[in-house]
Amino acid sequence: MRQILAGIETEYGLLVEGRGAEEQVDDAMALVRGYPGECHVGWDYRYESPRADLRGFKLNHLAFDPEDAKFDAGRSFGEAHEVRSDRVLPNGARFYNDHGHPEYSTPECWSIFELANHDCAGQKVVHRAAQAFAEREGLSVKTFKNNTDFHGASYGTHEGYLVPRELGFDRLFLDVLPMMVVRQVLVGAGKVGSENSRSVEFQLSQRADFLTEKANAETLYRRPIFNTRDEPHSNPQQWIRLHVICGDANMIPEATARKVGLMKLALALCEIGQAPIWRFKDPVRSFVDISRDQSWKFRIELDQRSWTTAPDILESYFAAAEACLELDEELRWVITSSRRLLSDLYEDFNRFRRHVDWAAKRHMLTQFMEEEGMEWSDPHLRSFDLEYHNADPEESLHAALAQMGEVVPDPDEADQLGCLEGVNEPTRALARGLAISRFNQHLLGVCWRTLTFNVDGSPIEVDLPPNAAYPQQLRTADDVGTFISMLRGVQ
Amino acid sequence: MTDGDRLTRPLTREPGKKSGEEGGPSAPDIRKPEGGNELLRRMKKIDPDQAKKYRQRSGQ
Repeated sequence: MRQILAGIETEYGLLVEGRGAEEQVDDAMALVRGYPGECHVGWDYRYESPRADLRGFKLNHLAFDPEDAKFDAGRSFGEAHEVRSDRVLPNGARFYNDHGHPEYSTPECWSIFELANHDCAGQKVVHRAAQAFAEREGLSVKTFKNNTDFHGASYGTHEGYLVPRELGFDRLFLDVLPMMVVRQVLVGAGKVGSENSRSVEFQLSQRADFLTEKANAETLYRRPIFNTRDEPHSNPQQWIRLHVICGDANMIPEATARKVGLMKLALALCEIGQAPIWRFKDPVRSFVDISRDQSWKFRIELDQRSWTTAPDILESYFAAAEACLELDEELRWVITSSRRLLSDLYEDFNRFRRHVDWAAKRHMLTQFMEEEGMEWSDPHLRSFDLEYHNADPEESLHAALAQMGEVVPDPDEADQLGCLEGVNEPTRALARGLAISRFNQHLLGVCWRTLTFNVDGSPIEVDLPPNAAYPQQLRTADDVGTFISMLRGVQ
Repeated sequence: MTDGDRLTRPLTREPGKKSGEEGGPSAPDIRKPEGGNELLRRMKKIDPDQAKKYRQRSGQ
C-alpha cells in the first residue's frame, strides 16, 4: 500500500499569572518570539488558502467566535504575519502564535511512531519557550496540551494527511467519517463535564461539545467533524491534505500513534475503494453520544432504523484492512493493539487505562474522588483534568502517571531531544530542516511546500514534492548552490 | 433511540445480519484504583480553582 505522509499541529493553552484572554495574543507572541533555540524567523504565506473548500468553492470569510471579538474591541495587533511570529526549527517544524495559542506543527512523518515522538518533542519546545518567557517576565507561565478551557472555548489538535486529489470530497467523506466518529473510544483525551446545554459527569472527547456540523471549512466556530479546508501545502492538482480537526491532543504517545494509524487505515481503504460503508442517521449526534455514553455500549443510530456500535465499526475497518491491504508493521500494530484494547475495555480496564488517555484520566480522578470524598459535580475536578495536560513534566499529572508506570511511558529522552535537532526519515522536512541549520543566511522564505533562497542577490524557489524520498546526502552539501542542485534532483 | 436492527458489519458485507438490544457489552469492570505518592503529591499542590480562572480564546 502507498505510505501516507502525516503531521500534527497542536495549539497549546496558555495561563500567565495575573493575565487573561485579553492579553493572550500578546503573551503568545512574546512566548513564541522568545523561543530559546535555533530557528528561522518568518513564514512564506503565499500558498496558504484557509478559505478554499474541497467541494470546489471559496468562502468569503471564516466564522469566528463572537465571544472572542469583545477581547479586541478597538484594538489592532498589526500585520497578520507579525502577529503569528513564525519560527521554523531545524527539524522542519513550525512554531507560531495561532489566535493566542502557541502552536507546534510537527515535521511531516511517514511513521506513526516517529510522528508521536515529534509530537512529544513539540511539548518540549513549548515548555522551553514558556520557561524562558516566565523568566523574562518574572511570572508563572503554564502551557497545556489540551483542547478546552471548560468555559466554552476550544482550540485544536489537527492532523494532516497527504492523499491523492482524485479521491475527492465525496469519497473521502463517506469512507473516513465513520472512523472520525468512533476512534475516540480508543484515543479520546477525556474531559470532566460538559460545555453545552446537556450535562454529563465525564466524557471521552475534549472536542465533542464543539462539533456542530457534519462537514464545512470552518475551524474557529461552527466546527465540523469533517473539515473541508482545501490547503494542500503541495501541488493542488495532485494532492489533498486532509485536515482532521475533530481529534484530541493526546498525552500518551502511543495514543497519538494509534490516533494517526486509525485514520491511515481508513484512508488506505478509501484509496482502493474498500472502506466499509456505514450510513449514520446523524453523525454529529453520534459523535456526541459516544463521547457521553456512561454505559460504554457506544450505540450508533444508522439509516433505515438500524443501529450498530463503535467497536463494530472499528472492527469492520480492521477486517477490511486485513483482507484488502498489504499492511506494514505499523498498521498491523494498530489493528492488533486496538483489538486488544477493545477487549480490555470490558474485561481488563486496568490494562486498558495504561494506553488510553480518557481512561487514565478517569481512573486518576475516580481514585482521588474516593480518597477525598468528592463527587463528579465538584468543580475542582476540572483543575485536575487541566493539570493532566500540563506541558511541564515536573507538574503534569500525566507525567506523574508515566513515572509511576500507570500509563505506557514516553519515548526516551534522547529520542525526544534528537527530534529537536532533525528528522530521521527521508521526508521533505529533512530538506527544510537542513536549509535552516545549514543555509539560514540564504533563506528568503520557508513554508511546507517550498524553500526560497537568496543566491547572489536573486531569489531562487525550490519546490519540495511531498511524496519524494529526500536523500541523507543532502547533509553533505557544502554550499547553497550545491544544496539547491541536489534538491532539484529529488524525485 | 430507535428500536431497529443492529448492524455489526458494514452494508457491503452482511447487510442482513441482525441481533437484539441484548447484544451490547456488559457493564464495565472498574477495579479499585491503585494509588501513588507522586501523583497524590502533585494533585494536592494544584490550585483547586485553577480551571475556574482558566479562560482562553477560541482557537482552531
